[in-house]
Amino acid sequence: MGNAAANAPIRLLVAQSLSTIARERTVALLALLFLVLVVVAAYLGWSATSTVNAIYLRSVDYMTAQGQTIPSNPVLDTSPLALLRNMATYVSLIGALAAIVVGHQLIASDRKAGTMPLLGTRPMRGIDLGTAKALALVIAIAALVAFAAFINTATFLVLPEFRLDGAGWTKLAAFYATSGLYLLVFGFLGMWFGAAAKSETVGLLIPVTVWLTLTFVLPQITSNINPVAALNPVSALADAPASAFFQVTGWALGPFSLAEAYRVISAQLLDFMPPTYVDRAAIPAAASLLIAAAGVGTIATRAVARMDMTKGDYDA
Amino acid sequence: MRNLVQPVLTIAVKDIRDALKDRFIILMTAFLLLASLVALAVAAIALKVDVATYAEAKAGLIALGKDASTIPDPAFYPLKLLRGFVEHVEIIGAIIGILIGYRAAASERGRQTLALIVTRPISQWQFLAGKVLAGTAIISSGLILAFVIAGIAVIAISGIVLNPEDIGRLAIVMSAAGLYALAFFLLGFVTALWAKKLPNALLLAFTVWLSFVLIAPQIGDTLDPDNQVAGGVFKQLQIAKPQQVEILQSFSTYETIRNGIEVASPTKHFERLSFAVLGIKDTYAGQPLMPILAEKTSDMIWLLAIALALALLLFARRLDPNRLSKE
Repeated sequence: MGNAAANAPIRLLVAQSLSTIARERTVALLALLFLVLVVVAAYLGWSATSTVNAIYLRSVDYMTAQGQTIPSNPVLDTSPLALLRNMATYVSLIGALAAIVVGHQLIASDRKAGTMPLLGTRPMRGIDLGTAKALALVIAIAALVAFAAFINTATFLVLPEFRLDGAGWTKLAAFYATSGLYLLVFGFLGMWFGAAAKSETVGLLIPVTVWLTLTFVLPQITSNINPVAALNPVSALADAPASAFFQVTGWALGPFSLAEAYRVISAQLLDFMPPTYVDRAAIPAAASLLIAAAGVGTIATRAVARMDMTKGDYDA
Repeated sequence: MRNLVQPVLTIAVKDIRDALKDRFIILMTAFLLLASLVALAVAAIALKVDVATYAEAKAGLIALGKDASTIPDPAFYPLKLLRGFVEHVEIIGAIIGILIGYRAAASERGRQTLALIVTRPISQWQFLAGKVLAGTAIISSGLILAFVIAGIAVIAISGIVLNPEDIGRLAIVMSAAGLYALAFFLLGFVTALWAKKLPNALLLAFTVWLSFVLIAPQIGDTLDPDNQVAGGVFKQLQIAKPQQVEILQSFSTYETIRNGIEVASPTKHFERLSFAVLGIKDTYAGQPLMPILAEKTSDMIWLLAIALALALLLFARRLDPNRLSKE
């Protein structure tokens, strides 16, 4: 009874926060763009796979005429799950940006509406507010990922040539759980700087800069992946040159290279990992994501809990 | 004439002074410089590995008493080291353009000074031209700094002094980068000037950036059949280049659609021009400059057309009194 009463403000805050961000047009725009790209990812996978198959059949004609040995069809060597390989890229691009905006808006909408001083007058601890905002973020990200999972599940059901067995469905579910975890890192970053920054613009730009560093700069240092190659799910898993430098940077900075960690897990779960790829990071990729989500989540929750309840809007 | 130009210069000088006080623009420019230096250093390390591999293979052949001339000598083009740098300019340079454009409008809306300016004896075009002039000057300064540092880094890493033609190539790519960043400046400025809510303008500009800088080239790249199989589909099937071209002729419609998606992005035009001029793409390495420029004129025209279209949009629309304040 006492516990239920203590949790009541948190439940109210979660519901209020979710209904507020649901009305934000920018959140809706980015969520819509993400969901459109989820559909595009499935189409791209299907289209590219069909084209590679058609190229193989044309090549077979040529090789037969030349009396060459016919190699196996590369399409038959790929798992149906690899159809969704572009999802890894879209989650790390538009998904991460949408998560930053959701996390940011969860705090910014209250600050701009001037409700912080009002919340400060209520019989509620700062940590309750932090916990409520973190829970709202988890629910919002879970909803985004659930929509994407629903669309991809429907894709597999309508494409009979790409059938999944029990293990395949389990891997797909694990991929979405990992994607949710990855997006939470960026959602918490948005929340953290939404609460800590004095200016709304800076509160948005710092997480975007962190995202740029994780997506384009760190993979270059750890694996010699150029920024544009990082956009292609297959090219991004090229082997690093056999050098002591990449051995050391891969081992030491690999655990912080979250975009790379997410790509590695995605490639393993969606069966498009090149057989020669070696993960050099000091800790497993999944551990990196878990530690990052827990760490940034704790910092973000504390940042919200410690907000100045006497101030309303941002300074600039 | 002086009466026409003086207010433009006054606005431009004031805007440059304001922008230099903006820590985030300085921080993002520093971030671009740092990312570029990282890209160059990493490219140099990767090159060193390639050279060591070559030397090892050659020594191996000599040790076996075989003819080492069967391995062709590697050709080294120092400007090729700039690949990562150019890609960072594509991504971060566009963001810096958006931020400078956003700030140019936001600084007036945030301080409610835009409404004040329109009451002064200054035409709308003079105000906008002053802002665009300031933006162009800030972007150019940042890019000149970045390209000079990159050029010095290439000389330091490769030990080869760049010849006048190499410097000319760098200057052409820098001009293209200026035009490219200017297009994003105009995007940031237009959205921040017209959006009902300022932060929404930034998000809208970022969404456009994401769509045209990252997603459109990504879709084009992903649809390339040779990028679908690790190492390339033709390499895996062991099919020589002339036969590849012959086989791909049957997929011309697919290739047209794929290319159409890619060229919808200004980033791809900038990349194609830069990679050709700097010889980053193998087919252009070591080739004379003029034929490359002739072939890539369309990419330069596209960049110019995009910037001009956005400028036209900016100057054609009247400032809306309802959009002059922060909210």
